[in-house]
This record gives sequence, C-alpha cells and structure tokens, in this order.
Amino acid sequence: MDVDEIKVAVLRIEGTNCEDETVLAFKNLGVFCEAVHLKQFYSDMIRDDEQRNITDYHCLVFPGGFSAGDYVRAGAIFSARTKSVLQKDIENFIKTGYPVLGICNGFQVLVELGALPGFDEDKPIAEKPEMALGVNESNRFECRPSFLKHENRGKCVFTRKLKKDVVMFPVAHAEGRVIFPMGKEDEFVEKLKENDQIVFRYVNDKGDYAGYPWNPNGSYYNIAGICNVKGNVFGLMPHPERVFWSYQHPDERSDEYGDGKAVFESVIEYLKRF
Amino acid sequence: MYKKINVPFDLYEIDLLNADDEQLKKISEEMGLALNVDEMKRIKEYFKQKGRNPYDIELQSLAQAWSEHCCYKSSKYYLKQFLFNVSADYIISAIKEDAGVVEFDEEHAYVVALESHNHPSAIEPYGGAATGIGGILRDVLCMGAQPIALVDPLFFGNLDVKHEDLPKGTKHPLYLLSGVVAGIRDYGNRVGIPTVAGMVFFDENYLTNCIVNVGCIGIAKKKNIVPSKAERGDIFILVGGLTGRDGIHGVTFASAELDEKSEEEARGAVQLGNPIMKEPLIHACLEVVEKGLCTGLKDLGGGGLSCVIGEMALAAGFGAEVYLDKVPLKEKGMAPWEIWISESQERMMLSVKPQYVDDVLYIFQKWDIPATIVGRVNEDKILRIYYQGYKIYEMDIEFVTSGPEYCRPYVSKKPEVDEIEEIAEPTNYKDVFLKMLSHPNVASKEWVIRQYDHEVRANTVVKPLQGRINRETHGDAAVIKPTSSFKGLAITSDVNPWKTKIDPYWGTASTFDEMVRNLVAVNSKPHSFADCLNFGNPEKPERMGEFVESVKALGWMASGFGLPCVSGNVSFYNETPYQSIPPTPTLLGVGIVEDIRKAITSYFKTKGNAVVLIGETLKEFGGSVYSAVTNQKSFLVPRTSPEKLKNYSNAMLESFKNFKVYACHDISDGGLAIAIAEMCIGSHLGFESVNKLDFVELFSESNTRWVVEVKESDLKDYIDFFVSKGLKAKHVGFVADETISFGSFKIDVDEAEKVWREGLTRFTGW
Repeated sequence: MDVDEIKVAVLRIEGTNCEDETVLAFKNLGVFCEAVHLKQFYSDMIRDDEQRNITDYHCLVFPGGFSAGDYVRAGAIFSARTKSVLQKDIENFIKTGYPVLGICNGFQVLVELGALPGFDEDKPIAEKPEMALGVNESNRFECRPSFLKHENRGKCVFTRKLKKDVVMFPVAHAEGRVIFPMGKEDEFVEKLKENDQIVFRYVNDKGDYAGYPWNPNGSYYNIAGICNVKGNVFGLMPHPERVFWSYQHPDERSDEYGDGKAVFESVIEYLKRF
Repeated sequence: MYKKINVPFDLYEIDLLNADDEQLKKISEEMGLALNVDEMKRIKEYFKQKGRNPYDIELQSLAQAWSEHCCYKSSKYYLKQFLFNVSADYIISAIKEDAGVVEFDEEHAYVVALESHNHPSAIEPYGGAATGIGGILRDVLCMGAQPIALVDPLFFGNLDVKHEDLPKGTKHPLYLLSGVVAGIRDYGNRVGIPTVAGMVFFDENYLTNCIVNVGCIGIAKKKNIVPSKAERGDIFILVGGLTGRDGIHGVTFASAELDEKSEEEARGAVQLGNPIMKEPLIHACLEVVEKGLCTGLKDLGGGGLSCVIGEMALAAGFGAEVYLDKVPLKEKGMAPWEIWISESQERMMLSVKPQYVDDVLYIFQKWDIPATIVGRVNEDKILRIYYQGYKIYEMDIEFVTSGPEYCRPYVSKKPEVDEIEEIAEPTNYKDVFLKMLSHPNVASKEWVIRQYDHEVRANTVVKPLQGRINRETHGDAAVIKPTSSFKGLAITSDVNPWKTKIDPYWGTASTFDEMVRNLVAVNSKPHSFADCLNFGNPEKPERMGEFVESVKALGWMASGFGLPCVSGNVSFYNETPYQSIPPTPTLLGVGIVEDIRKAITSYFKTKGNAVVLIGETLKEFGGSVYSAVTNQKSFLVPRTSPEKLKNYSNAMLESFKNFKVYACHDISDGGLAIAIAEMCIGSHLGFESVNKLDFVELFSESNTRWVVEVKESDLKDYIDFFVSKGLKAKHVGFVADETISFGSFKIDVDEAEKVWREGLTRFTGW
C-alpha cells in the first residue's frame, strides 16, 4: 500500500479527549487520518456524507480520555457500545491483520473488549475480559513522565522501528494498573513472554525496573503495554502522541522528533508492506 | 402581597404598587432577591408607569440582572476610573464580553477569562470547584474558541487549625482543599483541557471563606470569533444540559456575606457539573462555529436564561420572545421563574438564521446533546415570555440591563507608617530557612499538580513541574504551543495576600510585578492580563477602601507598564460575621513566546556555571515568609514602579537574545534563598556563594529581581550588559555539587528537598 492510500480512524464518543493530537500524529507522517464518532458506523440519524464503514480504514485507534465519563470501570461503556455494534467487523479487521491501537483509555477499552491480551488468534475478541486495568496503587489520578523499556522482540507492529531501548512517554491516568487473574499472574506473564506480547515495561531513569513513582500505577511485572498474539493489536497506558516532537519532552527544545513518533511510524511501515 | 394567578402552573403577581418601604424590604427578603429598598423603589416606579404589578418571574429576573455578580454595581465606577484605560492595538475585544480576545498572530486570536467560584466552593467544595471549571470553559467557548489551558489559584485557611476551633458552619481547610482539588481534577481531566498553572495559598483569614479562582485560555481563528449578539430574524436555540432546580439564586447568594446558616439555605444554589456533557458540547459548538452556522453564542452562567436572551437581542438593537415551556427540564413542577433563573450547568445559547436551524440541530443530535428552539428575535427592544400560551413577562430590556451603579464610600487603610519594624537577623539561619522551605505557601505543590492532567492536548511545552523526572521543581510560568507555528503563550497566575493584607496598594503593585517577572523568566513578552478581584463586603467603607487602593495600584502599574487588562471579574462579600478575607486581586498574566524552543526553565543545568542576581535588594520584609516564620512584625511591603519593572523586563528579554541563559527563576516568596533552593532541587545540583550572604540579601522579598544561570565565560559581559543600562546585576555564586552554601550557612540539597517536598504532604498525605 502506498502511504497516501493508508486511512486511519481515531474512534471517538463523548469524553474521549485525545483524538486531536492522535489524528495529528498520523497526519504528520503523511497518511489520511480522521476522528470518527462511533455513531458514524451504525446510526440512522447520520447524514450520508458522514456515514462510515470499518472497511474504509486500514488502522483503528482508540484514543485517550474518559469515554462516557468512565464512571463505571474505565473503558467499560465505550467497549460495550463498540461490542454491541461492531464486534464482527472488528474481529474480521483484526483477523485480516489490520492494526488496532489503544492508548490509555483506549488500552482500557481494548482490555474490556477482550481484544487484549488476545491469546487466541482465531478468536481475536475474547468473550470476557482476561485481565484488568485497576485503580492506581496511589489511589488517584497522576500525570507524570514515565520511562519505558522496549522488550518486544519484533512481534508488535507498532514498535518495530523503535531504535531506542528506553523511551519516555508521559502517563496520565487513575486506572492503569495491570492486573491478571489472582493466582495466575506468573502463568500469564510467562505466556506473554513466550508469545513475545510484552512491549513496554516501566523502568527508572537508569533503565532498571523500579517501583513507584517509576512504575506509576503498581502494574504487575511493571507492564506498561502489551500486544495480542498476532502482534497487530497494541495497548499501552503511556501517551506516545504527547511526545511526537522533542519539544514536548521535558526540557528539550529542538524541532527534532520525540520518542513517540516511532509508534506511528512503525505501523505505517507495516501497512506499506501489507 | 402575593396573589396567585389563575393559570395551570405556578405564577404569582406581587403587589408592589401598594407596598411601602417596609413591605418592599420584606418582599425582597422573602423572595430571596437581595435588592435594597432603593432598588425596589425603582422597580415599583417602572411598573407604576406600566400601570400593573409585576409577576414573580419579572422581579426574579431583575434581581439577577441587578445583582452585584452580574452588574458590578459596586466596582464599575472605580474600575472605569483606574483600570480600563490601557489599550493596545492588538486587542480585539476587552472587558465587554465574557472573555477578552487578543491577537496571537495574523490568523489566530487567543481568548482569556478569569472568574471566581468562591461561595459555592465554601459550601460544597467538589461541586463548586468543578462547576467553576465548567463555567470558565463556557466563557471561552462562547467566543468561538477552543479552550487550551486551565489555571486555578486557590486560597484556604491554615491546614493545622483544630476542628474544635472552627467557627460554626465552617468546614476544615483540609477538607476544602481536598474537595476543591478533586473537583478541578475530575472535571478538568474529563473534559480534556490541561490545567497548567495556578497557586495554592494558606492564610488564617481564608478560614471561613475559601477562594477558588479559575482561569481559561482559548485559541480561535480570528474569522471564527463569535460575538454574544443575535441578528434580525434569528432563532434562539438552547443547547446542552437540562434545566433543573440546582443553581437557583446562585448570583444573589454570591452577592451577600456567608454565615453559619448558608449551608442549609444555599445548598440548592450550588450547581451540579457534568463534564461528559461539556466535552461533546465543546466539539459541537466549535463545529457549528467552524461551519459558520450561528450568528451569536453565549454561555448560561450566573442568572441562567434570564441573563442571556435579552442581552443577545439588545446587543443588536432588538428584542425577543421566549417560549419558556419548551425548555427541557430535569424535573417536573418547576415554576416558570425557576426555569428562567436556574443556573444548571453545561448550557449554551445560540442565535441562528432560520435557514441553518436544521443543520445546527443535526450537529447537536450527532453528539446526543439536547438542542431546542426556545425563542426568536423581535424588532422592538422588549422581551416577552410565554408559558403554555400565557404571556408571563413583558419588560423593556434596557430597563432590565440598566443595573444601578454605586460610588460607594471608602476609607483607605493607612499603612502602618508609625509602627516599629521588628525585623532582625535570625539566631539560626538554617532553622529559619528550613521553616520557610516547609511552609505550605512555599513548599512543593506536586501533590496538587500531579492530579491535574497538564499534558493533554499535547501542547504543554514548558510544564508546571520542571527538572529531572519525578523529582522536579516549580517553574515560573507554563508555556503552551497553541498552533502549528513555534510561537507560544506563557501563562502564570499570581497574588500575594500577605502583602495586600498589610498594604493593599503596594501588595497589589507587588502582585503585578510578580506576574510580569514570571512571564519574563520563561522568555516571554508580557502581552495582556486578566484580574479576579476578591474582596469582602463592599458596603463596609474599610473593605471598599481595600478594593479602591488595590484597583488604583493595578491601574498605575498596568498603564505605566503598558499592559492591557482584557478580562476580569469582581467577587465581593467574601466575608462572614467571623472575618473577611485579605484583599485578593488574583492576576492571570499572558505572555508571547516568540519561539518555544527558546523558552527558559527554572532549574540549574550545569555545575560550574555562574549565578547572577538581577535587580536591587532592599530591607523589605512586609508580608514576607521570613517575617511569618520568625514572628517578627514588618509593615514595609516591597515597593516597585512600572518604569523600573519595564526597564528590567526589557533588559532581561534582550539579555536572553544576546547570551545563552541556562536557567532563570524569579525571586518572590522567601527571597533569594528560596529561589536558589528551588533551582537546586530541580536538578540535584548545589550552589556556592562568592560572598557571605546576610539575611536581608537572602530573605528580603524586594520586587523586580531574578536569578539567572550563565556560563562563567559570559559572566562579565552579562553583568556589564545590565550595568551599562543603569541596572543592577551582581555575581552571587556558582552552580555547585549537592550542597547549597550561602556563606552564612549551608545545607545539603537532599535535606532541603525533603522538607520542601513534605511541606504540604505532611497535611494531605501522599
């Protein structure tokens, strides 16, 4: 696929609030990208020129924010609505190999949806969630920079062009603590490792695994982001779109690219070869 | 006095025509109008000419329009005299609308608004602060602008006050702080607008009235700026949340003193916020604006519907009619007057040409936001309201909006010139320094700042916390990059209530000085400012005196410096029978950063670099942290002048062009010692002074000073640069390893950092 053929949709409903900067990150790299309201896929009230189909796109993104207010469990409402109208479409989308990204609230949506950890290639959306993103150990919302060690060996299509071992993406969330079923934590981690599904782990400024505040939410095994078994669905709590440019990093003031660019670049590279 | 009208809903006629003064007073009290007898008599006169008595909805409407909150009746006279006379050619709209509009570049304008939400927050901190954020967002949105940054200066009583010492009906400051911060967090984070600046200040005089100010900056294409003004033939469309009984009498409640009964009486005056209605409301309104589908846009804030439709119509020289029964409600059985003045949140009014009505309704439907036609523009300047076919309101809009204006008597406080200055050298420098560092007004505000998403929208270039990751220090101003160019906006908010308490005039001048210093410190050119003037009861001459002195100082500094005041808000009656707040003229300063890649941060960068003190240090300790922690009286609040501030600011900005400046920090609370400590903490570097610094040099809070880090090889030229302009610059030391050494005492950075970090969290927990 040529770059100018690639079309990306950033899904939105009320309360998603990082779609503008996410759309911009893709646009900066020359691909078509637009924010699409979930209703544009199914609602009768939408005018013809604004109606959309999943098959119009080659990549879907669930952006950050507080979808529907996140008053229940973060991401629960957005995923329930998505599941009720688009489950089949998204299943086919993932099976075909098209990439899906979830950032922060989007990661929570993908977990609630059952698309992550996504152990079963034939059934990319599990019947019920297999993990959870729980309330931070500090028990409140925190906004801070975080260092991430890239541990993926090549499966995740969103980080293949990442050259650095450790990157800085900021986090800003109240519910980002990776939790696996009680008693099965190590089993899950082993499986994720074995399948090369672990993508980012929180580390300190020296690149070592460390506790709070370096692991800002108390995630199990310092996990910050994972992909599904096929490598085309990726969710992470930190925000790569907030460090697309170096001037968005703390105290870097050049017009170079920032650490986050590689995520968007990698998926575009993947689609070019698709 | 009250006669029920025979209609199928609640409507009363009020017998004003036969009422004597005593009865007029009683009517005002019983209906919760907060109007005085003279004002009631003026209304009586109006209806006498009409030959009829008013309905309840008409009186209620006048009470909203003539409240202190809506018509600035006590402040307007002095604001016009002292403050509103600074202009600049880049101002697009100042003071007249809900927010100030200022040119950013050829294509864009930025929008500024600053407001108080004090009374609601004192009663219900979480909801009060959240709806404060909601309100300020609408003020910016209604100009057609995308909100891009929030600012929240907060003021509370001392956190160590004992529960048994609280006056009756007063809530503990720690409860208020936690509630207010949570309210701002949960609303601001959900709507996705970063909270990038603010302040948190503690003083015993805020015990019975906490002060919650909220500011917002927006960005718009100039061509999309929308006035709060309808056009001939327009249809009024009400959009957003449903209307309920929450927030009835909010403005009249805010225009009187609080007392121990306010809790039960005024709980209903506090609105309920819903950020997940606001977030799509912003998208939908901006889509309507971008497509050019509305002629006017105005937010429903204080006074609700009653302060919107008439004003939008009159602004264009017209009148309007309203079908009040069309307004979608939260609950059944609301009387028409309640619907008319309810301050329910997340509502906006659009005036739309008839041919675009369907397009507008579609956009709101797409976002699942209620949108309803509620009226239209008429030719005559009269507002008529219909309810189920009955006419229940007919008044000249010009009469409704012609609120009274008072030139209230005032007594200026005499600064205590005869008092003895007690300020003396400390017996133990280090002890005093540690006490200053750990004072909640100085200590790290990380606990607050981290709870706000200051990065959402990905435009926060200079962040509120600066330095090595996870152990940052405070910055002077945040810098936002609002468009695709490298031009930026610096944002800061400042006020020093300890100084204004002693001397409202010089305290306010110092506040202005600090705002400018902060903007300059990040390498931005001060461009405009907004004020939120929080004071006590203006009917008391000594409170009015504080207000007048403060406004005078602000006008003197602003006109001398040439900085226009583009938006503002006055909040009086921050007073209870127990106490009044200190004068609190909060300022929100905006600066233009020519290139965000050249913005400067506050923490030391490299060991061995030279540290220069710019400005003059005098023995000025009035309202200082030093006098507070040593319990020494001082009345000499630091002086300044607009000329001096301007000369230094220009020289600083020029020096940033001519020299490589590694760090810059303004000197404010706690003086040079605290400024240097903060610069060290952000990088875990130390400081070594070249001479022994005494307590005046270390702790005085003289205005118009900065600390600057430059290469040692540039040191001589840098100082000469200032001296050649007749300004003061002095080499005070070098950036060093891990120890802060002032000659008179020294301390490890780690030790200083620990007390500074725990100054606030020892009360709040982490």
